[in-house]
Amino acid sequence: MTKYVGQRVKRTEDPRLIKGLAHYVDDIGLPGTLHVAFVRSMYAHAKINGIDTTEAFKAPGVVAVYSGKDIATKVGPVPCAAALPDLKVPDYRVLATNKALFVGHPIAAIVATDKYAARDAVDLIFVDYEELPAVVDVEAAANGGTIIHESFGDNVAYKLTSGEGDIDAAMKAADKIVSQKMVHQRLAPIAMEPRGVLARYFPGEEELTVWSSTQIPHLLRTQLALMIGIPENKLRVITPEVGGGFGSKLNVYAEEALLGWISIQLGKPVKWIESRRENVQATIHGRAQVGTVEVGVKNDGAITGLRYNVVADLGAYHQLLTPAIPTLTGLMLSGAYKIPAIQMNVTGVFTNKMSTDAYRGAGRPEATYVVERVMDVIARELNLDPIEVRRKNFPKADEFPFHTATGLDYDSGDYDGALNKALDLSGYQSLREEQKKARDNGKLIGIGVSSYVEICALGPSQAMPAGGWESATVRIEPTGKVTVLTGASPHGQGQETSFAQIAADELGVDLNDVTVIHGDTGIVQYGIGTFGSRATAVGGTAVLIAIQKLKEKASKIAAHMMQCEASSLSFEDGCYTKKEAAAASVTGKSEPVVPVGEGPAGALNDVPTPTNGRHKLTIQEIALAAHVAKEIPPDTEPGLSATYFFEPKNFTFPFGTHVCVVEIDKETGETKIVKYVAVDDCGKVINPLLVDGQVHGGIVQAIGQALYEEVVYDEQGQLVTGELMDYALPKASQMPWFETDRTETPSPVNPLGVKGVGEAGTIGATPAVVNAVVDALSAYGVTHIDMPIRPEKIWKLIR
Amino acid sequence: MIPPADAGGTDYSMKITGTQEIKAPRERIYAALTDPLILQRCIPGCESLEETIPHNYIATMKAGIGPVKGIFKGSVHLEDMQPPEHYRMIVDGKGGPGFVKGVGNFKLEEKVGATVVNYEGELQVGGVIASVGQRMIEAAAKMLAAQFFKGLEAEIKSPPDPLQR
Repeated sequence: MTKYVGQRVKRTEDPRLIKGLAHYVDDIGLPGTLHVAFVRSMYAHAKINGIDTTEAFKAPGVVAVYSGKDIATKVGPVPCAAALPDLKVPDYRVLATNKALFVGHPIAAIVATDKYAARDAVDLIFVDYEELPAVVDVEAAANGGTIIHESFGDNVAYKLTSGEGDIDAAMKAADKIVSQKMVHQRLAPIAMEPRGVLARYFPGEEELTVWSSTQIPHLLRTQLALMIGIPENKLRVITPEVGGGFGSKLNVYAEEALLGWISIQLGKPVKWIESRRENVQATIHGRAQVGTVEVGVKNDGAITGLRYNVVADLGAYHQLLTPAIPTLTGLMLSGAYKIPAIQMNVTGVFTNKMSTDAYRGAGRPEATYVVERVMDVIARELNLDPIEVRRKNFPKADEFPFHTATGLDYDSGDYDGALNKALDLSGYQSLREEQKKARDNGKLIGIGVSSYVEICALGPSQAMPAGGWESATVRIEPTGKVTVLTGASPHGQGQETSFAQIAADELGVDLNDVTVIHGDTGIVQYGIGTFGSRATAVGGTAVLIAIQKLKEKASKIAAHMMQCEASSLSFEDGCYTKKEAAAASVTGKSEPVVPVGEGPAGALNDVPTPTNGRHKLTIQEIALAAHVAKEIPPDTEPGLSATYFFEPKNFTFPFGTHVCVVEIDKETGETKIVKYVAVDDCGKVINPLLVDGQVHGGIVQAIGQALYEEVVYDEQGQLVTGELMDYALPKASQMPWFETDRTETPSPVNPLGVKGVGEAGTIGATPAVVNAVVDALSAYGVTHIDMPIRPEKIWKLIR
Repeated sequence: MIPPADAGGTDYSMKITGTQEIKAPRERIYAALTDPLILQRCIPGCESLEETIPHNYIATMKAGIGPVKGIFKGSVHLEDMQPPEHYRMIVDGKGGPGFVKGVGNFKLEEKVGATVVNYEGELQVGGVIASVGQRMIEAAAKMLAAQFFKGLEAEIKSPPDPLQR
């Protein structure tokens, strides 16, 4: 029955995207739309003594100007959903009121008849700033100095200790303690489509529609309703085509609430499309941790315990999940290994920068980097092969479900299997020999390995701030076409294709007869959204189970129409067929299938129907009958649709091994990746083409972190990497050929057996690249080098 | 040989230094460099320069670096004046594209038939100029300095225009 599942089905989304026929927020035009531009702080930290808007008001085309004081009490604060003990949560107003706390902090909003008039008027607003010392260095900020939120008394938002096992005893039991300080630099997600909001209020109907480029339409609707004070059932959020998010749109932003509120004030549609400069300044950043890992090891490489003391740079405010991200790092610190005791001590610190939050991997890349980097440091210290250190500490395939000292139960895995496959595929042994020869010839070749585990399918509701389930409604329309409504909100992942594959196989219909609808709260039942590699494992499962529910009903109707027991029907290729034996027995009886207690069935039976005597019915025929409702059992509701909310019992834990080979140019210090092999295990695969795409994209972003990308604020908190001239995104020409392969260990957590793959590349690949660079430089005594490993860093090291 | 961890907070402030030789006596140049009318004519993009109290000016300047253009308003303050050898200039300006703050020291040395003006200063920028134009500021500042001195030289060579006074 798997005509589509498991096949490399081309994305049905692609033709419209490639042809430029897709509709993003900016492609939606409503008559009379006004345009919004923002005045943003040019200081990292400043008192706002006054805002002079008189000149701006006089400018041609300007309709309205709003500053923080105008709306301070009218729009609720930007929400934070993370709940941590003793967490300090600053009051994050949608426009700065008394103080600006980061470069890019919105201070005033200008509404004008066109976007150019709005933008020009920004230069006519005069803000009387009183500059204050900027808090930039996160480690210094944790220990005093200028306080950003004075009422808190210091810059520490929270301190948290997590982990299980007796860490002190574990360290004492070790033959050696290996320690390494590591910096996870601040990154900008840079989705191809920046954020954008269009809001339209109908004063008569008192209804507000907000189009937003988001990953969480329903959660956004709930939060906007609370912020703006409009009933949730009068608010509709529509997520049209979204050009990437990577976690940056898993959020509720000030601009989204402001646009909605302004539309209500003016009774007109208002639009704001983020510029790239605004995108780098005021869309969440990722990573930004500075930590030291200590690992207790036996001389044979067995790990006795791991401690990670880390300071997380949260930025000036909490966005939706800001403080929770480092806690995900704590959960993943066991990596792919048996570590009896683990402790993470995290200090979340406010700085005068944009908030950090979920960026592809969200806290897990940091953990994988810490663990996979330190495995190589251990190997070096103990003079062991890095592969052997990893093998030594792997849980075996028969040890699953495997409980970690971070409190998780890994669902399934075969870490040796993925490692072996990656070593075979890369020709690891011969690579080492080639490396030796190359070194003799004066070439700098390095080989890096990373065996990662990640935590996907977020997740059980108990572990999530606002629900970890996902929803689906599947219906078959009277004409037999299938509509799937998913609460997930794909924005590039391709679930319009993969969910259609699941539905087409389960219903035995053509793929082209299935339409997957998402991202419209006016049409789709409540959902959670797309993030944390959850859409297929949680949302896809909801689709599958909704179809199973729908088929239960369809089989009842089929049985009624064919005058037999539902149990005597078989379903194949979209048809219900009477089983031979059952068919024979049914023809011998004259009694209709009507449950006890129902009305007289005899009358119905006397009416000749078109299906009388038929032994086979298509699901489309049943759908029509269900809607016409003349031939359905009396205890059955008309129509043919089913809704299911799937609550997963656990996360899923994909894993894999990546092998990276680099060559470093001694003259320039430039790193070139000459070989890259990725063996990933994401459980069962619905569409290998989509999995490859996710792996490729993830590795590219991981290489970006390893070698190129960094958000830089200077000593005054000025954003130095303010656009793509300075923020070094990886380019296609800098990327190697990716050799990808898989092992397949189904997840027992969901009936599809899928685990998730959206973040695997970013989580697994970064340490493989850095390990390769360090390996290449080992002859120079280099044991660690902080990211991004730009040519100048290497060049200085080898001088 | 472990490179130190870099946790951010990199010093990106800009130092601007230069030397300009002008064929004129030191006193004449010192007077020109502190004369608001001459300065207004020589500073590229300067739209107004008004003295509020002695050695304190309010200025409006149109300036641009690459794609970042705008009007800056701010104050100029001269101090540590030791005619005809030295003075210090403190600039503080704001505009649509951000802000500029700077301190510059000007030293005038006599040479046969000419005067050498040595200047060295530090510049701090913020807002869009910092995030977009930072890399180009040193080059832009050098260009502006060259234009300024060219104008200054012309002013000094030409006889004073009574109508302008």
